Amino acid sequence: MLSMQHISKVYRTELVETHALRDFSLEVNDGEFVAVTGPSGSGKTTFLNIAGLLESFTSGTYVLDGLDVSGLNDNERSRIRNQKIGFIFQSFNLIPDLDLFDNVDVPLRYRGLKAADRKERIHNALETVGLASRMKHLPAQLSGGQQQRVAIARALAGDPHFLLADEPTGNLDSLMARQVLDLLQEINEKGTTIIMVTHDAELARRAHRNVQVLDGQVTDLEAPDSHPLTVAVDNDAADNLSAGA
Amino acid sequence: MPIRPILSALLRNKTGAVLLVLQIAITMAVIVNAAFIVSQRLAKMNRDPGFDVPNMIAFQSWGFGADYNHEVAVKEDTDYLASLPGVLGVTTTASLPLSNSGSANTFAATGEEFDEAGADTPEIVANTYVMNEQVLDALGVELVAGRTFYPEEVSYRTPQHSSFAPSVIMTRDLAIETYGTEDALGKTLYDGLGNPAEVVGIIENMQGAWVDWDDLTHVLLMPGIAAGPFLRYIVRVEPGRRDEVMRVIEETLPARNSERMIRRIQPFTEIVARSYRRDHSMTILLIATVIMLVSITSLGIIGLASFAVRQRTKQIGTRRAIGATRRDILGYFMVENWLVTTGGVLLGALLTVAVNMWLVDAYSLEKLDWAYIPAGVLILWVLGQLAVLVPAIRASGIAPAIATRTV
Ligand SMILES: Nc1ncnc2c1ncn2[C@@H]1O[C@H](COP(=O)(O)OP(=O)(O)OP(=O)(O)O)[C@@H](O)[C@H]1O
Ligand SMILES: [Mg+2]
Repeated sequence: MLSMQHISKVYRTELVETHALRDFSLEVNDGEFVAVTGPSGSGKTTFLNIAGLLESFTSGTYVLDGLDVSGLNDNERSRIRNQKIGFIFQSFNLIPDLDLFDNVDVPLRYRGLKAADRKERIHNALETVGLASRMKHLPAQLSGGQQQRVAIARALAGDPHFLLADEPTGNLDSLMARQVLDLLQEINEKGTTIIMVTHDAELARRAHRNVQVLDGQVTDLEAPDSHPLTVAVDNDAADNLSAGA
Repeated sequence: MPIRPILSALLRNKTGAVLLVLQIAITMAVIVNAAFIVSQRLAKMNRDPGFDVPNMIAFQSWGFGADYNHEVAVKEDTDYLASLPGVLGVTTTASLPLSNSGSANTFAATGEEFDEAGADTPEIVANTYVMNEQVLDALGVELVAGRTFYPEEVSYRTPQHSSFAPSVIMTRDLAIETYGTEDALGKTLYDGLGNPAEVVGIIENMQGAWVDWDDLTHVLLMPGIAAGPFLRYIVRVEPGRRDEVMRVIEETLPARNSERMIRRIQPFTEIVARSYRRDHSMTILLIATVIMLVSITSLGIIGLASFAVRQRTKQIGTRRAIGATRRDILGYFMVENWLVTTGGVLLGALLTVAVNMWLVDAYSLEKLDWAYIPAGVLILWVLGQLAVLVPAIRASGIAPAIATRTV
């Protein structure tokens, strides 16, 4: 369970203050698959970074699995990222000098798991994404879709509660995008909560619930003047929507 | 800290690392050999001279006047110098110890070899000094047995003299070399013409003229006053009074006799320093080389690590995002550097030995003390870790949000 109340995020540079999020409130229940949409610069990535403890926020409260995260220090945040959260990035972010096995191994080592345990998890995760046979390949030897599947395996191997994905299909053609989404759906059906930022309305429609971010706030999808995209992606999960602002 | 994935990432990206390994290896070979040579030179310069270098003054006297009387001049000057406050002893000599110039003669423990050819008594080479009865006080050497010369044994020598000496004082090393025992008091020493002299004193130690001579401590003192008109004086003073006495000598001695010239009044430390000048400048050159190489290598390490940090910014952010702590990132770069340095020092150890073998061969330097190799390894490990610290700390400060914010 993820609960953000009245979160604001201000980026300050010498000259400008950017209010990337303002009075942002959202709850995501365990097992949900939430798609986050919104125009460029609206604050989607900022939200995801705060949700994933990659960045701190300026004000508001954020409770993750019953834990108020605002008081955590850097090490504790690292540990929670490692244990509870799996990240999937638009440009895959695999480590180019490590083979697939070692890439999936990275977060497991940070968790300090024993070699045998790690090995089993890596095999299972790569099996799940259908790349177990290519364990010794380097990322550069794979297609984009395959690389993203490895990234999913890496996120999955640690058994996270939450899978956070920022435009996971943004660098993929539509066929590969669909495959990746099939995979995410499969993972969600097994119980992992997924929050996915996407520009693709068709893919967003496959989530339980769509959240639209406009100008740093969650907008009500039922509002008549909402973004055309949100009308298109409105679906049966709409009751779950945080009324937000 | 996991070593295997760091190593495999390193091996996939090796150009920079290989160059650094080579640089570290060369650095190690040079600094270890240089340090060894420096330590040897320092040990050489720090050998105990056996006489009281810091409290001694030396100068030259040159009788040039038409009315110069060597015997009178020497007697007057010696007595005058001995009477100065703070002076412990004064002697004349033809040459100075540790000045890199002097004379050596051959001697033998028995007279037989001069009778029958091929006798197996070894010929002894000793550095000789002709000095007066104040010799022990003038040098500050330690007498371990016997006595100093009697005044009546101290005669004025002529350039043509061919007699040996009634008595001699020798260093313990020379006694052992000559007689096989330091217990040489009362024994007879024969000069190259077979003339005998009695050993009346044994001194603990005294270095002779040539700092590079293997038998530097084979010193023989003979009673006498060197032939004129040119000779040198050694004046030894109470500790702390050297400069004061030197000033007095400078101001008063020359005027006491206008038939002779007093030249180059100087502290004995200067004479010794001049003899070791080559060792000294070699030491400085080597130390400068070591400092330069160490700096260049440190810069190389810093440069490569900084480059790696910049190049891997996104990777570091990603690692942070998926659970690495700052310490994990710091550790990554420290371990990576440690692996590179270890490669460097392993190769460096071989290179060090090779360079040393070449030095031994080409310059007849001594064989490297093996303990210098682990010491060099340790130093380079520490150096590497220190050098990589700054870029590693910078890496550990990279924000995890970089993972989503860069393309
Ligand atoms: N580190 C930063 N410093 C200053 N401003 C920032 C920073 N990161 C983001 N912003 C600003 O915050 C706002 C929200 O950015 P964010 O990346 O969350 O948008 P987004 O919805 O993810 O956009 P896109 O769809 O283009 O990825 C933008 O105006 C952006 O310029
Ligand atoms: Mg974004």
